[in-house]
Amino acid sequence: MNKLDFILKKIIRDGVGRSKKISALVGLSVAIFLLLTSIQLQINYHDLLNNKNNKDSIANFLVINKILTDATLGKTSIEDSIIKDIQLQPFTEAVGELSPSKFKASIESNSKRFPFYTDISFESVPKEFVDVNGTVWNWSEQSPYVPIIIPTLFLDFYNFQFSLSQDLPQLTPDIVKMIVFKVSTHTKTGSTSYNAKIVGFSDRISSMIVPEEFLNWGNQQFSLDTTKTVSRVIIKTKDPGSPLLSEYLKKHHLTTDADKTRFSKYRKVVDTVVYIAGITGGLLLAFALLVFTLFIQITIASCKEEITLLIILGASPTQLGKFLIKRFFPINIWLVSGAVTAICFLQYFLFKVLEIQHIYIDRLISGYTIGFAALLLLLIWWINKRSIQRYIYQ
Amino acid sequence: MLELNHLMPIPLRDRLSKKESSVWNNQILVSTEEWIKITAPSGTGKTTLMHMLYGIRSDYDGAILLDGINIKNMSINELASIRQIKMSVIFQDLRLFPHLTAFENIELKRVLQKPYYESDKIIEMAEVLGISNILSQKAAICSYGEQQRISIIRALIQPFTLLLMDEPFSHLDNNNKAIAAKLIAQECIKRNAALIITDLEDDDLFTYSRKLIL
Repeated sequence: MNKLDFILKKIIRDGVGRSKKISALVGLSVAIFLLLTSIQLQINYHDLLNNKNNKDSIANFLVINKILTDATLGKTSIEDSIIKDIQLQPFTEAVGELSPSKFKASIESNSKRFPFYTDISFESVPKEFVDVNGTVWNWSEQSPYVPIIIPTLFLDFYNFQFSLSQDLPQLTPDIVKMIVFKVSTHTKTGSTSYNAKIVGFSDRISSMIVPEEFLNWGNQQFSLDTTKTVSRVIIKTKDPGSPLLSEYLKKHHLTTDADKTRFSKYRKVVDTVVYIAGITGGLLLAFALLVFTLFIQITIASCKEEITLLIILGASPTQLGKFLIKRFFPINIWLVSGAVTAICFLQYFLFKVLEIQHIYIDRLISGYTIGFAALLLLLIWWINKRSIQRYIYQ
Repeated sequence: MLELNHLMPIPLRDRLSKKESSVWNNQILVSTEEWIKITAPSGTGKTTLMHMLYGIRSDYDGAILLDGINIKNMSINELASIRQIKMSVIFQDLRLFPHLTAFENIELKRVLQKPYYESDKIIEMAEVLGISNILSQKAAICSYGEQQRISIIRALIQPFTLLLMDEPFSHLDNNNKAIAAKLIAQECIKRNAALIITDLEDDDLFTYSRKLIL
């Protein structure tokens, strides 16, 4: 501290405003903490929705179909107009059409050790919506086999239910992938068989899917109905928990896996909590700044005679303003730094707690939170400076 | 350097306009290094004049020009700058901070701008004026005579080209008056500064270039 500031500090004392200063600082601390926390929570939620590591916990793909009621029986195909409208919605990143097979088909095992036969149907979906990586996902008439993706649930059903009741061996996913099945298509003129292999298991689509090339070829070859039908659509969305998405589906009598959209309820809760924390923080900040301004006013008013004499002796208002800013502002830097540090600890704690549940958020706080803290500091500095100038010149 | 152009304090206008004065409602030019004594009985506006010259009061007709600039038109920051480097004052009512020590009261004026002297000079001047023993004492518990000498050192510790003194020796005996006047004269000569002093009676404490009746 320089000599002038040392003497000025003895002249301009907190005096009667000390208790107001303490209450203002406590209020400011809570307000800053609440505001920064609400921002960090919002960013964490955004990360949860977009972090690839979190796809187990939050689905990014939704398969949508019409709600089946008496009125929609036989009329469940989705019209082009609805698909176009879905594409335009803010929650939609991409839309893919699921087309059904229109021919009779069956699948059976070639192995006597593992005998089974069942009638089946297929669906196809554009490649970018297939969630099985590392496999060739196409077909031509020259292909040695038809690649098929089945829902993971089917294998679970077989291993933990069907195989036990039929005294059949349990099968790991790798073993299933090695088995060559026989897929047959049936028409009035006869049956045709193809080799088929299960190349992967999908958590995303709840039907057996084959490459679009095979499905289109099959529909042309074996079906009399050549019109294009979209049974369901799959959408890629940033936020399956978006309340907007839930409302849209409800409004258009569409439905999807309720388990995936249940996040919309959580999202509403998170939004409400963040909103309340933000509003409370904002109000508290305004109130605390008001009290802090009052404290500055009281300090200056209680030293009015001393300040007047200082100015008479030759101290400039600019000099006094700089001194008072140095006097009042640095505590705010400590408050904001304290709040940021507390949020850093909380963030790391949250990271550790969620990590156990395989939900991943950043272990460090966001740059946006730090940026907002800096902005907050700038706002407090501006308000302090303005109050000091106003009261000194009075 | 300083020009008083037909000054007349508005609150005293009725009373002062009836009296003959060589200051009020006259044009006075104070040049560099000029030492002026203004003598007047009580209640004739000595302190009012000093406050006007120092820029504390602006309720007057006429103009005060310092280096050609009307001090009424100066901003509060410009006036502060003038008071830091051009104009120093010894108030009649001393105007010390009672809860600061004698040393701190003087030190404040030394460091308010780029210091003209090192802080040792405060001790040196205090020894000359015989108050070195009360430098660490709070101003509130110093006698009027001591406070007056603190006030004199405070005015001399800063840079200036014009020194205003409003009855600066009112609480001093003749011996201390002479010592203080000698110190003030030395400091003014050193800076080539002008001085304006007001008092109730005439004296020859300084080598005045002019004596005026208020």
